[in-house]
Amino acid sequence: MNIVNAQNIKKSYFQGKMQVHALRGMSVLVDQSEFMALAGPSGSGKTTMLNIIGGIDSPDSGTIVVDNNDYADMKQSQLADLRLKKIGFVFQAYNLIPVLSAQENVEYIMLLQGVAASERKEKAIAILDDVGLEGKYNRRPSELSGGQQQRVAVARAIVSNPAIVLADEPTANLDSKTGESLLDMMKKMNQEKNVTFIFSTHDNMVMDYAKRIVKLKDGQIEEDIVKEK
Amino acid sequence: MSTDIKMALRNLFRSPVRTMLTLSAIAFASLILVFMLSFQLGSYEAMVNSSVKIHTGHFQVQAKGYNEKQNMRFAISLPNDIAEKLDKIKKIQAYTFRANGFSLVSSKNRTRGILVTGIDPEREAWVSTIKTLVRKGEYLDAKDRDKALIGSLLAKHLKVSVNDELTILGQGKDGSIAAGVVTIKGIFSSGIDEFDRASIQIPLNYFNDVFYMQGSVHEIVCTAESLYDVKKITQELADDLQKDQKGRDIVVLDWKELVPGLVQGIKLDLVSAIIFYIILIVVVAFSILNTFLMAILERTKEFGVMLALGVKPSRLLKLVLMESAFMTLAGVVIGGGAGALLTLWFMTHGINLAGASEILKEYGMSGVVYPKLSLISALAGPGAVLLITLCAALYPALKVKKLVPAVAIKSA
Amino acid sequence: MYFELAWRNIWRNSRRTLVIITAVVIGVWSMVFLGAFSRGMLNNMLENGKSVLIGDIQIHHKNYREDPSIDKSMEQAEIIRHLLKNNLSKNTLWTERIKVSAYVSNARHSTGVTLVGIDPVKEKEISFLGKSIVNGNYLEPNDKRGVLVGKALLEKFDTKIGKKLILMTRSKSGKVVSKAFRIRGVFKAQMESTEKSYLFITMHGARNLLNIEEGISEISIKIFDDQNVDIVAKMLKNNIDEKLYSVETWKDLLPMLEAYVRIFDGFMYIWYVVVFIAMGFGIVNTSLMAVFERVREFGLLRALGMKPWRVIASVLTESTFTLTVGIVAGNCLGIISVFLLKENGLDLALFGKGAEFFGMSRIIYPVLTLTDVISVNSVIFFLGIIVSLYPAIRAAQITPVEAMRE
Repeated sequence: MNIVNAQNIKKSYFQGKMQVHALRGMSVLVDQSEFMALAGPSGSGKTTMLNIIGGIDSPDSGTIVVDNNDYADMKQSQLADLRLKKIGFVFQAYNLIPVLSAQENVEYIMLLQGVAASERKEKAIAILDDVGLEGKYNRRPSELSGGQQQRVAVARAIVSNPAIVLADEPTANLDSKTGESLLDMMKKMNQEKNVTFIFSTHDNMVMDYAKRIVKLKDGQIEEDIVKEK
Repeated sequence: MSTDIKMALRNLFRSPVRTMLTLSAIAFASLILVFMLSFQLGSYEAMVNSSVKIHTGHFQVQAKGYNEKQNMRFAISLPNDIAEKLDKIKKIQAYTFRANGFSLVSSKNRTRGILVTGIDPEREAWVSTIKTLVRKGEYLDAKDRDKALIGSLLAKHLKVSVNDELTILGQGKDGSIAAGVVTIKGIFSSGIDEFDRASIQIPLNYFNDVFYMQGSVHEIVCTAESLYDVKKITQELADDLQKDQKGRDIVVLDWKELVPGLVQGIKLDLVSAIIFYIILIVVVAFSILNTFLMAILERTKEFGVMLALGVKPSRLLKLVLMESAFMTLAGVVIGGGAGALLTLWFMTHGINLAGASEILKEYGMSGVVYPKLSLISALAGPGAVLLITLCAALYPALKVKKLVPAVAIKSA
Repeated sequence: MYFELAWRNIWRNSRRTLVIITAVVIGVWSMVFLGAFSRGMLNNMLENGKSVLIGDIQIHHKNYREDPSIDKSMEQAEIIRHLLKNNLSKNTLWTERIKVSAYVSNARHSTGVTLVGIDPVKEKEISFLGKSIVNGNYLEPNDKRGVLVGKALLEKFDTKIGKKLILMTRSKSGKVVSKAFRIRGVFKAQMESTEKSYLFITMHGARNLLNIEEGISEISIKIFDDQNVDIVAKMLKNNIDEKLYSVETWKDLLPMLEAYVRIFDGFMYIWYVVVFIAMGFGIVNTSLMAVFERVREFGLLRALGMKPWRVIASVLTESTFTLTVGIVAGNCLGIISVFLLKENGLDLALFGKGAEFFGMSRIIYPVLTLTDVISVNSVIFFLGIIVSLYPAIRAAQITPVEAMRE
């Protein structure tokens, strides 16, 4: 079954006075539990595509259906709700909420979902342990290293068992060793919990891990490679 | 919810200097408003009280037209009939009869044209403070006839003292010449120049004879148990006492109608002060608008992330408004509290306005003004500050609703 | 270059700059406009007070003010007349009056008043009376039996022009004297109390009533052009026998108004400072935000060798620009609003009696004085620069190392 069905997506925006065509009619189908990378040079439209799949940016034309929800029919708050329940985000710059501690950052999603306090705490600690942050629960983002922050971000993205995790260059700011352990961790999630992962990246290591690579160039698909198992 | 509060508070502490400055501006405005309003209300009350206690009483029963024209013939002919009715109303604390006539009052070598008032010495003392204001000599008693109380400034002008004689020459109620000689029994000093300069009081029964009043009086001066009862009593009485036995129209006038200048003067003063206050609050609002604006603009990225995580725009708006509300509330509470404390201190110690005592005396106040902290003066100012600053917070907060998450995340 | 840089810097975040400028504009506008308005109220009170019968300077018998009776009149008026003719400038006007307390009655009514005997020709130019006759005629100089009555008194007495009034007062010998006068005209004053408490007759009429040949109660002097009241008064004092006469300015005669003027000035300064403090928090805050946003930039400038005082100077220049824009715009707005109201004034009809209670007319015209405008602007400008010192010093304290850590 397709979890993401994007058809003929077009998106352009202005950079200063220049119109940039980020996506020029891109179509892609993503199945449940894929571990897929959108690859390409900067400006090829991979981040824009990721944002559109996540519903945090809207296409100029084309249709996008995620987990049977057609974005065209949805209001901002409904999209927010969908993101809350089905989609996890991991950003290149970690983007944790600065005033919340590691544990609180992870709990925040569950809080929004209405999970009871005791369950929130239990789950948050368990997942922080999973990503290797035992004992660092009460640190604020400013007191964690980049790798540690990104681990919190991944924990935050997967804690409520989303259908898809969208990761925008998650390893770009990390050294290769930290990046690798993070990818191992995500792969494990993908295998054990059937979480779909879509990356945007130009990091070769990520592409090594990916089972499918969609190469973009100038807002269109140049190549769609599905690796043999 | 508790996480929202925690986040709002932590966000405020991210830029402590900014928060402190903003809070101080709000607190400052609240403090000024509480103190100034209390000060004004305190002086108004002093003005009203001195006027009410010294001459007008809370309300008066008069013949229709007397208040406007001060014509002697507009008198109540059978005051005791009305008195009987007054006796039946419980909330009336006291009442007294008065009659007035303009006369030429002469001492041995001075003359002044002034208002002579006939008072019932015993009853007058229940209604007004005149008895306590006698500084030289004594107050009148019930048996006195050709005796008089005069104001201290009048005594000075006429160059007279206690036991000196004064000649009264005026016009009786029937138009004939009214003449009499009185001995000064006491000299009073109210502190209100106008009153001390131009009033002389003689026993009502003597006045009645000199001015041919035939038992009629001009004013029945009443005090109620409290200022708040006045409205109800006057309405009741007005329905009851439409005409006296001789068919003359009777009116009931409360202190606001008796001294309309005072009431409107207070209104004018209050309204102009309120204009000043509103401008102050608006200046404060603009002065702190930047804080609200910056708190949002510099966190655009953060808000974008939160939206991406699935926080609904309405919740984000709530979070942002909560921050502003906490800051404003804290400022208002601190400022209002400090203002209240300051006012309380001056309520017991008074504010010495020595430089302004000339003016204050003219309006019936002494040189020391006591502000009065009331629910209104304590809450109105800070309430207005809260309202207007929250409106200022609303404008930047609404920007949050328009954020496109993908764009917001990209911003620096 | 240096100024251009500062100018560009304040517009880097134009919204923020506009917000703080708006705060300054509202503050300055309110100070200029409300200041002019209050000044208008005050001047109005003063003019009302002075125009009734005071003028700028008065000369009396030494004891007249304590005892305003006919006994205390100036007998040798000729000497003073001579003195005034020789010492006062051509533009200065003066008139003589007899002023006593009297009792007025007709068949039905009676009340106490101040009776004023005037020189109709000269009085016309000095006090309000000349412009205030609303009915009937003004007095002729040789009219011995005519009286001018205030509108309010006329109504109170249920009488009209041509009817008689009996005036009663005490003569010099202590005897009560009275004569009938005929109402020639009705005057209307700014305040009802004036209409009720003054009656005007001619000097002849007054002398006739009081049985005197010579003697005047007061001389009222009105100064035009920009002569200083206090200086003229001092000159008169030096030339007049102070054992016999007293020379007083309106400030001595209306101590209450004088006190009001003083309190008013004090109050306006307090108001300026209060509004300034409200703005000041915003100015410091905004300027501080601008500094903290540019930590890297200041660090870099320091690393390039900029001296701390230059940093202070550049931040202060930015604050000065912001303040100046706000002050200029606020003044313009204030002056425009004053001019808009100049024509028709502001009608305090709603508080008519209240205005009278404070001795003001119902319609108030704003009065913009240079002194007020200058004091408003200097208060804001200097305090503004002083509070901007704090962010400027903070900016100067930023070290290159600190900046790189950002």
